[in-house]
Amino acid sequence: MDFRLTEDQRALVDGVREFLSGTHGAEVLRALDGEPTRRSSAIAASLVEMGLPGLMVPADQGGLGLGTVEAVLIAIEAGRAGLSEPLIDGAFVAAPLLTNAGGQDALLAAIASGEARVALQHPANPWVADLDGATHVLSARAGGLLIGTAAAQHPADSVDPLRRLSKPVTVAGTPVAGSSDDLLNRAALMAAAQALGAADAMLALSVDYAGTRQQFGEPIGAFQAVKHHLASATVAIEFARPVLLRAACAVEHGEAHASVHVSHAKLAACDAAVAMAETAIQVHGAMGYTYEVDLHFWMKRAWAMAGAWGDRAFHLSRIDAAVIGGAIPVGPAETFA
Amino acid sequence: MDLAYTPEQQAFRAEVREWMAANVPVGALVTLEREDGYRQHVAWERRLASGNWGMVTWPEAYGGRGLDLIQWLIFEEEYWRAGAPNRANQNGIFLLGPTIMEFGTDEQKARFLTPMAKGEVIWAQAWSEPGAGSDMAAIASRAVRDGDHYVLTGQKTWSSRAAYADWGFGLFRTEEGSKRHKGLSFLLFDLNAPGITRRPIRQLHGDTGFAELFFDEVRVPVANRISGEGEGWNVAMATAGFERGLMLRSPARFQATAARLVELCRAQGSRVSPGAREAVSAAWKGAQAYAYNTYMVASRIIAGGHIGAEASLNKIFWSELDRAMHRTAMQILGAAAELRHFADGEVNAWLEGYIFSLSGPIYAGSNEIQRNIIAERLLGLPRQGAG
Repeated sequence: MDFRLTEDQRALVDGVREFLSGTHGAEVLRALDGEPTRRSSAIAASLVEMGLPGLMVPADQGGLGLGTVEAVLIAIEAGRAGLSEPLIDGAFVAAPLLTNAGGQDALLAAIASGEARVALQHPANPWVADLDGATHVLSARAGGLLIGTAAAQHPADSVDPLRRLSKPVTVAGTPVAGSSDDLLNRAALMAAAQALGAADAMLALSVDYAGTRQQFGEPIGAFQAVKHHLASATVAIEFARPVLLRAACAVEHGEAHASVHVSHAKLAACDAAVAMAETAIQVHGAMGYTYEVDLHFWMKRAWAMAGAWGDRAFHLSRIDAAVIGGAIPVGPAETFA
Repeated sequence: MDLAYTPEQQAFRAEVREWMAANVPVGALVTLEREDGYRQHVAWERRLASGNWGMVTWPEAYGGRGLDLIQWLIFEEEYWRAGAPNRANQNGIFLLGPTIMEFGTDEQKARFLTPMAKGEVIWAQAWSEPGAGSDMAAIASRAVRDGDHYVLTGQKTWSSRAAYADWGFGLFRTEEGSKRHKGLSFLLFDLNAPGITRRPIRQLHGDTGFAELFFDEVRVPVANRISGEGEGWNVAMATAGFERGLMLRSPARFQATAARLVELCRAQGSRVSPGAREAVSAAWKGAQAYAYNTYMVASRIIAGGHIGAEASLNKIFWSELDRAMHRTAMQILGAAAELRHFADGEVNAWLEGYIFSLSGPIYAGSNEIQRNIIAERLLGLPRQGAG
């Protein structure tokens, strides 16, 4: 039992954080917001160079062969950076599912090299994210999984300017082994991770703003009322983090109650992120209500992640059914049940 | 990251489980906040000590087992799973013991730790004064040096366990005219010493778990001072860190409360409102999150890390969780919540627990103080009036 990141994991996080802060940053997000596609081929290429699309692809297919914990750690960094490119769904959700399904070596190699990009479709979502530009769709519409192709249609606007949505589509393709629940759990876990990363970023922006913005002759962060808002948000964020990592381990090891832990992580991270967004706008005051400050990119990502991959009601009902319904043992000696 | 217990840890769990099954008293004890209940709880402390389970993380030389924090968490899980009583020895285990280990001399360790581990001496804390609650630097009680002794004068209040306990610890001003954090010393005193008067304070629940302590020229040997003269503030801050942080509230205790709440919700069936039902799920989520976080911090400490201002995050989280869980139980009980005893004579433990939970956000430094600590020391926000 050792509930700490390994040195390798910490080094990975540090490296990716540094890399993303170089390729992203608020100015880059603002520039992309002005582009019709919202995408940058240069950033996409740099992600491949960093090896991120192949993070979970087995080494035999040219990937790094890392696990769900590492993917969650990178998804947190993606949230922190406000990542613009569609990396997570294909690389951290589709890739491990296709690996488990077997017989998809060529596609996995293409994911790792950046030639293939897989979008995800699931009944939990009324919209499909990033279908435009995707070479494949992994669809969970028929109970099982289907890998194939489809064209994006009837685009819908997301509040998140860097998120592109399409109506669900009919996928032409072939069935692959795997469960739609597994797809949902992995995707919900990654949404939770991105929300937590966005919350981290909003906290940092808010602390920075509160430390510099002067009112009544002092930085507003000196006032106890402002301090207490930020301290409360910190408590929520820091207690969501271990829940997320615990859920990552449950998914990685295929634990019996993995879906309960994923729902816990989704609620903890998204509740913290939504509360952080409200705190952040309060701390930023009227400036936070504008495009003048950078805050809005992360607030909007948090809102998007909160509704995607099973909304609050969905995950609450899974917890309710398991905890009150009795499917998961509760009590002091059941911490890792 | 490896969330599986080792075979040794599993064997240890089995050992604790077996001992608890054979030794935990059948039926609830009378509350620790009353003299008869206090005696029952002290008897339990001694029984625990007889099995060498009093202070499992302490070195064997002082009556402990030398276990690490993961083993401590496992012990606590089995302790609360077995429905074992609250610890009368809490101030010793969580506050004074670690303080003496860190700051005490070898002589003080030998003199105080073993009797504490054996449950022979039960300790009361004497932190607060009428004018110094969360603002502990406002302490006015004095200790004047007279040869090999200090002479204590002043008043402490809201001293947990002090109505019945054997010894106490607290801060006294040893430098005349000193201000705030300076000139304070951390002293240990016999509660039965001449010149000490205890006045039990009746708390919200009607019992007297607290007392006021009046010091009228109480002579305390200089050998009872922990760390140097005038160094008391640093020692007390370390003690407060233990109190807020990892040790005081083991996650297992909250997991046990959450499990009882789940049972209550199931028993009440369809009369539980959707909102209360969601709060029951939230209780499980909160208790689990607190447990994961504690395992994470414990893993870090085992690897050589320290707990600092993060302790304030813990304190806010568990105190608000505990209050929310008991509030939820009161809502589910509805009209029955107001009963001190149910129709079958059973104590309404949810009511008692709710009243107790209201103290959580106040003691060990109010949650407002904790939020200031988080904002200033973790987030680096400026102090008011500093610039």
